[in-house]
Amino acid sequence: MPQTPILEVRNVSKSFPGVKALDTVSMDVLPGEVHALLGENGAGKSTLMKIISGIIPKDAGEIFLDGKPVHFLSPRDALNAGVVLVQQELSLVPDLSVAENIFLGRWPRRGVQVDWNTIFSETFHLLERFGIKEDPRTPVGSLSVAEQQTVEILKAVSRPNLRILLLDEPTSALSEDEVNRLFELVAEIKKTGIGIIFISHKLHEALRIADRVTVLRDGRKVVTEEARRLDERMLFEYLTGKSVEVLETGHGGDHTEAVMLALEGFSSGGFVRDVNLKVRKGEVFVLFGLIGSGRTTLARGLFGLERTTGKMTLEDKVVQPKSPQEAIALGIGYLPEDRRQALVYELPVFANITLAILSRVSRRGILRLREETSLAEDFVRSLRIKTPNIFREVLYLSGGNQQKVLLARWLARKPKLLIMDEPTRGIDVGAKFEIRAMVRDLARQGLAILYITSEPVEALEVADRIAVMRGGRIVRIFERTDGIDKTVLLAVASGVS
Amino acid sequence: MSQNRAIPAWREGESLSRALVNLLLKGGSLVGLVALSAAFAILSPHFFTLGNWLNIFRQVAVVLIAASAQTMVIITAGIDLSVGSVLALGGCLAAVAMSYWGWPFVSGALLGVFFATLAGLASGVIIAKGRIPDFIATLGMLGAIRGIALLITGGLPVPSHFTATKLAGYLPQSIVWLGSGDIKGIPVPMVFALLVVAITWFILNRTTFGRSLYAVGGNREAARAAGINVDRIKILVYGVSGLYCGLAGLVLVGRMNSANALMAEGLELQTIAAVVIGGTNLFGGKGSVFGTLIGAILMGVLSNGLNLLNVEPFWQRVVNGLLIVAVVVFDQWRRRVTRD
Repeated sequence: MPQTPILEVRNVSKSFPGVKALDTVSMDVLPGEVHALLGENGAGKSTLMKIISGIIPKDAGEIFLDGKPVHFLSPRDALNAGVVLVQQELSLVPDLSVAENIFLGRWPRRGVQVDWNTIFSETFHLLERFGIKEDPRTPVGSLSVAEQQTVEILKAVSRPNLRILLLDEPTSALSEDEVNRLFELVAEIKKTGIGIIFISHKLHEALRIADRVTVLRDGRKVVTEEARRLDERMLFEYLTGKSVEVLETGHGGDHTEAVMLALEGFSSGGFVRDVNLKVRKGEVFVLFGLIGSGRTTLARGLFGLERTTGKMTLEDKVVQPKSPQEAIALGIGYLPEDRRQALVYELPVFANITLAILSRVSRRGILRLREETSLAEDFVRSLRIKTPNIFREVLYLSGGNQQKVLLARWLARKPKLLIMDEPTRGIDVGAKFEIRAMVRDLARQGLAILYITSEPVEALEVADRIAVMRGGRIVRIFERTDGIDKTVLLAVASGVS
Repeated sequence: MSQNRAIPAWREGESLSRALVNLLLKGGSLVGLVALSAAFAILSPHFFTLGNWLNIFRQVAVVLIAASAQTMVIITAGIDLSVGSVLALGGCLAAVAMSYWGWPFVSGALLGVFFATLAGLASGVIIAKGRIPDFIATLGMLGAIRGIALLITGGLPVPSHFTATKLAGYLPQSIVWLGSGDIKGIPVPMVFALLVVAITWFILNRTTFGRSLYAVGGNREAARAAGINVDRIKILVYGVSGLYCGLAGLVLVGRMNSANALMAEGLELQTIAAVVIGGTNLFGGKGSVFGTLIGAILMGVLSNGLNLLNVEPFWQRVVNGLLIVAVVVFDQWRRRVTRD
């Protein structure tokens, strides 16, 4: 049955100097539909979102809302017409309560006073309607990121004129469990008959939540298709234009190599306790767990960033690094969960690559620039880091390439043990596969790798062995990865038997 | 769209106003310096003469040396408010040693510079080990060090008329030469200050210490995670700042042929202004000492030009203060335009 779309975008184009960001893109959103918009970084999805929500003007094309042409000159215009964008960076006031945030800037009044009763009771009903157990009086700052996101979405839903909800990568900071709850909320919102555009990096999530999927690549629309006719492999090919070489799973098994890292009764940061494990040379040892399970605390402990107790042995030597400086001297490298904790954005690519080996590219404190830059050039080439040149500030690189710069930093140090904490989070699918392949390759060359992830598929793809963490402890170690299903990993990680 | 952010929209512009904006964004302080010089050249016939320019450089030398240090400190996302006091301490100690104790120039100079460096290191230790904001620590040092300088001199100028005799109590010729001499017509303090700028450039661009300064200021956590000893870098940079101030103190004492504990008051503002005009980011991680050179000269030209035009010194203070505010506003605007 043909329905009138709530939102229709027809042949919209947008150019930035030097780049055609959008080239005659069309898409529509039906009432009660979740329409996933996929694309790699730079594919144009953010640009399209910004145009739809009035943040930037379009160069050409038309936008129709409920069949009528609209021209948004500012985000306010879009808001008034019922188009609301929920961005990745949340826009809540931490010190105000849930209720105050939801009604921020449009508090109902009674005379000159704010009508608190109405605010709290309406918020209460709103929370109840979507099955969220939260006190409207709780300050937003004390909520978890996932809960804050829920508040942000409810803030949009509470607008009486809401027609289109744009969710920009809402799952990027959420654990599996929280994603489930978010999807329940989205399913509830769907029932109210509004249209939802869901932007994501994660293919399986898009397939799960969306009714239809539109894929952008290099500013052009590749396809719009019903989600049930698609699978991850097809989406990957649409996204990258390349066919997939699926990494084989089930490496494991060869346990003859020497032990690089051994932990006995190891505790870190007061939360992670009683960890016993061995990481061998030439293996990828995955620490799998949901957010908050203690994986990162363990990694930080190994790198001298947390207080630790217990026995840590690195290549037959008992060690206890108390600072990153000591850990690095021992031969440990660490890619933190958040790239912002490791990159100096305003330094150029080459300086970020050599930051941990300054003493090696200098003599008596004076840098040998030629040596330094040629070393950086080598890594840019071998890791295929996309940058105009090595003198470009890291700030301007895409997430995947930033991650590769960090990888290069540690490879330049030739570490014995490399700890990688969620190295593929928030980067392009293409770069994701590339980095996983690099990790396998490094292990083959004899490096010991401790790889942290909360994506079960990723864990199975890269791992030789997998340890599952929950509540600050290792609950199970899988010695082989073949024959394990991702649901088994998830069940162990969440404590469901 | 991270790639596009590198190419701001105005690059493509063709109109005159766009071109002007472009010029301002790229070479802000240099454009300001040229424009200001042109204006003064029109208003005063004495401005654009070799003699006057050498005079400007002579006056700027002290600020320039201290501002070079301030550049390094600000690149680490710090700020040194004690530069003026430390300069006075170093200068007074050197002057007391040379004039009253009869020390030769070199040992007197070393004594002053040594204690100035020590004062800087003290600030660094307080900041790094005491986990106190740079601003507060050096504000405290500003008062304390000035007090020590007053105690040393008893509040009197050194050498003072009461104590100086024909035989002892005058400053040696070497320090006077350093502050106001010239080599074939070129002022010694100017040569000295430019040498300091060159050394600073070398430190910032060619040494591991310099690279660490940018890393610490750009992202402290990242610097630590890359194995840089952040505390050590912080302590060292304030030590270097003290050392530079000690050197600047010698130049100032030589120029005035006298030292007193209250000299170089307000130097912190002048150096910060020179650094900011020069385009160094007040929040750390970005900056260059050549920018500071331009900034310091611009400030020197401004005060020299206003003098030539017989503007009251009190007004000059007002103008200098407003200039700092204007520069920061300009800097914010520049950042907005280039980021979007």
